[in-house]
Amino acid sequence: MVTEQSTKLETFSFDDNIVKKFLLATVVWGAVALLVGIIIASQLANWKLNLGLPWTTFGRLRPLHTNAAIFAFIGNAVFAGVYHSSQRLLKARMFSDILSKLHFWGWQLIIVAAAITLPLGITVGKEYAELEWPIDLLIAVVWVIFAINFFGTIFKRRERHMYVAIWFYIATIVTVAILHIVNSLAIPVSFFHSYTVFAGVQDAMVQWWYGHNAVAFFLTTPFLGLMYYYVPKAINRPIYSYRLSIIHFWALVFIYIWAGPHHLLFSVLPDWAQTLGMVFSVMLLAPSWGGMVNGLLTLRGAWDRVKSDPVLKFLVAAITFYGMSTFEGPLLSIKSVNALAHFSDWIIGHVHSGALGWNGFMVFAILYYLVPKLWNTKLYSTKLATIHFWVGTLGIVIYMMSMWASGITQGLMWRAMDGSHLMYPDFVETVVRIAPLYTIRLIGGLLYFSGYLLLIFNIFKTIVSAPKVSEETVYSAPALAPFHHDANQENGHRFLEGTADLFIILSIVAILIGSVIEILPTLVSHTYVKPLPGQTPYTALELTGRDIYIREGCYTCHSQMVRPLSYDVLRYGERSRMEEYIYDHPFQWGSKRTGPDLARVGGKYPDLWHYRHMKDPRDVTPKSIMPSYPWLLTQRIDYSILSRKLVVMKQLGVPYSDSTISKAVDSAQAQAAQIAQGLEAQGLPVKKDSEILALIAYLQKLRLPSNQGAAQ
Amino acid sequence: MKSDYLKLFPFTSLTCLGLAIFFLFFLGVLVWVFWPQRKKVYDYIQNLPLQAE
Repeated sequence: MVTEQSTKLETFSFDDNIVKKFLLATVVWGAVALLVGIIIASQLANWKLNLGLPWTTFGRLRPLHTNAAIFAFIGNAVFAGVYHSSQRLLKARMFSDILSKLHFWGWQLIIVAAAITLPLGITVGKEYAELEWPIDLLIAVVWVIFAINFFGTIFKRRERHMYVAIWFYIATIVTVAILHIVNSLAIPVSFFHSYTVFAGVQDAMVQWWYGHNAVAFFLTTPFLGLMYYYVPKAINRPIYSYRLSIIHFWALVFIYIWAGPHHLLFSVLPDWAQTLGMVFSVMLLAPSWGGMVNGLLTLRGAWDRVKSDPVLKFLVAAITFYGMSTFEGPLLSIKSVNALAHFSDWIIGHVHSGALGWNGFMVFAILYYLVPKLWNTKLYSTKLATIHFWVGTLGIVIYMMSMWASGITQGLMWRAMDGSHLMYPDFVETVVRIAPLYTIRLIGGLLYFSGYLLLIFNIFKTIVSAPKVSEETVYSAPALAPFHHDANQENGHRFLEGTADLFIILSIVAILIGSVIEILPTLVSHTYVKPLPGQTPYTALELTGRDIYIREGCYTCHSQMVRPLSYDVLRYGERSRMEEYIYDHPFQWGSKRTGPDLARVGGKYPDLWHYRHMKDPRDVTPKSIMPSYPWLLTQRIDYSILSRKLVVMKQLGVPYSDSTISKAVDSAQAQAAQIAQGLEAQGLPVKKDSEILALIAYLQKLRLPSNQGAAQ
Repeated sequence: MKSDYLKLFPFTSLTCLGLAIFFLFFLGVLVWVFWPQRKKVYDYIQNLPLQAE
């Protein structure tokens, strides 16, 4: 043993109650996340299942699904694993039981708040960061509580060396804090509404720096830490190469942070930033596979145990899915591949191979490993767990294959040309072709969910059959002696691994290099990007319509970005320009085209068409799978905070005059009346303050200023 | 002018310098991590998860 420790033994115990709480929360929220996933998958297979109600419609439930899966299901599992493994690796009880409880209940409160507000349409409109500012503040507070509790444990630890799992946890905690705080910067309009401080291309860059690194530092780094702890534990042998794990860690955290712009390829983001995002994404293959190989080779010579142990089965499959999705990610980041795959279901397949295969299976492995251990009993049924594994694997494979086929098919149809003409100019043709694959995807999802129900039953039976009373085990270890840096070679290395504060600073430096280089130039874009000739900010009514567009989650199915690709330009119109988006707080470029792009929809159809389309899309596009929005015809526009909205926009740099702000309500009502009169003249009586009018005003605004003629 | 710099980043020499710095740093880390005399420390650390609870 090569630690410097005093000879005096200290006794301590672990707080496993908090681990149990997080595990149970994982099981509960996992069911919710998967069930909502099933619901929205079925809505894509059959639009009638949107039920014609605001809070059950795809656009509002999809954010609920992603937030529940990422932050509720996976988040609680991460906290369970971190609390369990850290106490053992650091030979110390968590810093404070009270902070642990505050962390747990605070996080559950956030989840409940999300589950209530998202279906109500209370959203910021930025993917995976939809929650409004009061909940964002609560997230920041709870995360700081978690950080204090975790770093407090590190500083009172009895083990000098911080094992590599702890490094991954440190990177997770500091990076998620930075990502969340920067991306959530907003000015409140009311308690339930705010506008992000960034606009257009700035907002896009910040959002996808956040969005991609939410994948990196919420769904990957903590799980790699868990892999480095639970794979050796489950197989009872050390990791294949500790040296490789060090390279893995530093390379991964340094490179990952640069990869965000691969979500914005062919957008109006400056080319150099797109290229950086692409190149670093391709480079990311190396550390990712380094980690995968390290995990899998830990089982060398013991593969026979995989056959009989479901925990090992889940671990091995999870690491394999990690390898597959981290191969697919760099592949999709190559511009020529991205041109085909972006906005298509291929991305959905890719995401789910990571979420269901890597994250989901790691969580299942941890649950099957930890629940019997912590409840001091045996797993109720190994056979059921094995069945769960095979049903789940089959579900993922069906899911991924159907989405690959759907994405590649539709991507090819979007770009298919007959001479200088599109072969499938009608967007809905491409939807009809892939619609059966949505049903197959649903079958995959149902299989995965069925396996999960087996887990719930198995875990429930395991817990109820456990002994009722279990006392906390008391351990002993020597306290750490004060650490003095010794310049000799052995201690030279230990200096870094044993000095937590220095390690934390170096981790922050590693993630800040890429962040600053990519984001800072974009943040000054407003100093040189000027409005196009004739470009004006949204009118009060258009801004109201935009908020309705965001509330209904239209961005989950429609993009607003015409790429400089011939088939995009032919289908939608002139390529997008950076200037067009300078007043967009938040940007609404979207990431998926379940429906067509809307950047040039303004003026393409008359107001009457939009009215009929929103009331029932099948009325104008018979084969459409879009939900109906009948409530927009009856709900009234909320004018009460309209002036305040313009005031906030002005604070953010949108050039509204004082007169425009003071007359906001009058001008909005006048514009709404004008649209209503036009509809009435065509035989459609409409309330002069119904929300549909604001949405029509916004949709008609979506075009280049040079094409903004008279209203249709 | 500023717009061109921020949109296109034409300084290829700086890009090469950046590449050289990061690559040399990476090589340095490799040497540091794989230095043979550190085996004893790694052997200890990698067994931390396996120590009895």
